[in-house]
Amino acid sequence: MAEFGIAAPSVKVAGVKSATATGKALSVVALRKTYGDVVAVDEASMEIAAGEFVTFLGSSGSGKTTTLMMIAGFCEPDSGTITVGGRDVTRLAPQKRGLGFVFQQYLLFPHMTVAENVAFPLTLRGVPKDEIRRRVGETLEIAGLSGFGGRKPRELSGGQQQRVALCRALVYRPPVILMDEPLGALDKKLRDQLQVEIKTIQQELGLTVIYVTHDQEEALVMSDRIAVMRNGLIEQFDTPRELFERPRTPFVADFLGAANFLPGRIEQHDGEHTLVRLDNSGGLIKARHHDLASGTRVKVAVQPGRLRACAAGDGFCTGTVENATYVGTLVRAGIRIDGGDGPLLRLEVPAGRGPVAGERVGISADPEDVNLFPTDEKAG
Amino acid sequence: MAATLTAGAPARPRKLLASRRTRVGILYALPVVVYLLVLFVYPIFSTLLLSLKDADGSFTLHWYADALTGVNLSVLFTTLRISAETAVLSLVFGFVLAQAITRLKPILAGLAMLVVVVPHFVSALVRTYGWIIMLGDKGLVNESLTSMSVPGAPFQLLYNELGVVIGTTSMMLPYTVLLLYGVMRGVDRRLLAAASSMGAGKVTIFRRIYLPLVAPGLASAGLLSFILSLGYYITPALMGGPNQTMIATLINQQVTKENQWNGAAAQGVILLVLTLAGLLLVKAVTSLGASRKKRSA
Repeated sequence: MAEFGIAAPSVKVAGVKSATATGKALSVVALRKTYGDVVAVDEASMEIAAGEFVTFLGSSGSGKTTTLMMIAGFCEPDSGTITVGGRDVTRLAPQKRGLGFVFQQYLLFPHMTVAENVAFPLTLRGVPKDEIRRRVGETLEIAGLSGFGGRKPRELSGGQQQRVALCRALVYRPPVILMDEPLGALDKKLRDQLQVEIKTIQQELGLTVIYVTHDQEEALVMSDRIAVMRNGLIEQFDTPRELFERPRTPFVADFLGAANFLPGRIEQHDGEHTLVRLDNSGGLIKARHHDLASGTRVKVAVQPGRLRACAAGDGFCTGTVENATYVGTLVRAGIRIDGGDGPLLRLEVPAGRGPVAGERVGISADPEDVNLFPTDEKAG
Repeated sequence: MAATLTAGAPARPRKLLASRRTRVGILYALPVVVYLLVLFVYPIFSTLLLSLKDADGSFTLHWYADALTGVNLSVLFTTLRISAETAVLSLVFGFVLAQAITRLKPILAGLAMLVVVVPHFVSALVRTYGWIIMLGDKGLVNESLTSMSVPGAPFQLLYNELGVVIGTTSMMLPYTVLLLYGVMRGVDRRLLAAASSMGAGKVTIFRRIYLPLVAPGLASAGLLSFILSLGYYITPALMGGPNQTMIATLINQQVTKENQWNGAAAQGVILLVLTLAGLLLVKAVTSLGASRKKRSA
């Protein structure tokens, strides 16, 4: 792959400077879009560095696709600015932005062969014929599609078609490639495989990618940074690890980590830790230090996989195992906490040492894995 | 099933007939087969026979020789030329019209299609007389042009080739619009968006994506209006002059005025052959295009 020639952007797209030169591939400032009374995207701002893989993650209606469409130019923002490589493109037509786009429905041109499809953006840019042939060949090879150049899109499987669409979007080395749920129409196994392939290609070629998905796992696997979106707002824009371990809102904790939420009140701080008295069991749970006053009502969030089962009486609470489901590598258990009438506490432990239904267990957690959210905040 | 058990050597055809599905299928097909045999195959064959029979009943080709020489040949060429002109014009107008309709909101598009198609339900004779009134020396068109003192007005818009082509084009327009509209609606608009995301401008998208995608529709719409024009009778007869006699008019004259059935039959067969040739030509052109694409890739 080292000799792969297209790394040097020899394609001239009018006005677009090489993204790597500025270090900042794309920035979005206070982008807003409304449909009637509905605010689809509310003051979204972010900066994306060259070579970064950024994912917009959210359920449908979260504004992730609208934001992507505004960046692509298919949808005009009410206000805000979009800058690509230092150039303001907010009001430019899509074809003048010089970006790449991969659609969920592939959208290959049915009357062209695979090679013609990939060559299409190059012919638009007046690239000489033999260079087109060379670059199309190289790009198809990267995607594992050598020998498919002469086929028509309809003769390919869904996964192959999406690979072609990817080739078509990256062959002209756009400063940013936008992908709108590109794997949404594929089955699970193929999706997993293509996730890795896209990520590998992105890293090898140093592509800047903005990726839209509603699949948390996909976002975690592929992204350098994820923007978690809800109701048109960016809830948190961070690395997968930060989002997972240090969610800034209950929504993020729930959406990415499917966290357990336990209501309580901050009792005291002991230097590096914050102690919270839980409402339901009356137990005391130790969290890493949070800058909240004693007496503040909080929601304690811990992911099922970060809880541990221990001897009854130990840990921050004790309960009875109501159900335990074996799911291959894990056992998922639901614990009824003593003195609690809330939802079952969800616990995930490695299979083999899993609790069994009816067993009395104590529950403990590493303070580093315990997140606190003041409850006057919007509930998740 | 009992039949197959008792059957000896000729098992295969019997098995086929014995299958319940086949028997029911034949039963269903029977009315159509009879209908086609009586009303389609028989007339065509009798016309063919008629065109090959001399006055005394012996075999001859001289009706064909007649049909392909002198005035008859020039009528044939006129027919081909007028049909081609009609096909091109109805394609151009049909394309523009269908294109405009696809851009309308669904309810307006439905209304527009109605406006395009409804005239088709009015008798061609009535519509032709309508055109004659419109295009005459004292017609709406010429009166308006003269009142605007356009130089050269009034123009001769009737009883010449222009008149015929105006008439036939208007008759063919519903077909081309319907066909093209269907094809255009079938084009995935997101493909055009995809092309623009790669940097293609409007003209490029039209030329390299949209046009190739609607090309099959253009070919079939053009062919249809060409074939329909070949045999068109009323409009050319009423709106044309002596130089615009088309083959259908000639056939009519031979039968009704000269009682010359054999010559008319020969011309009818020629018309049929031309139509078939047109069909095969378009098929050949489209498959050639497809195979060339395959080879170049």
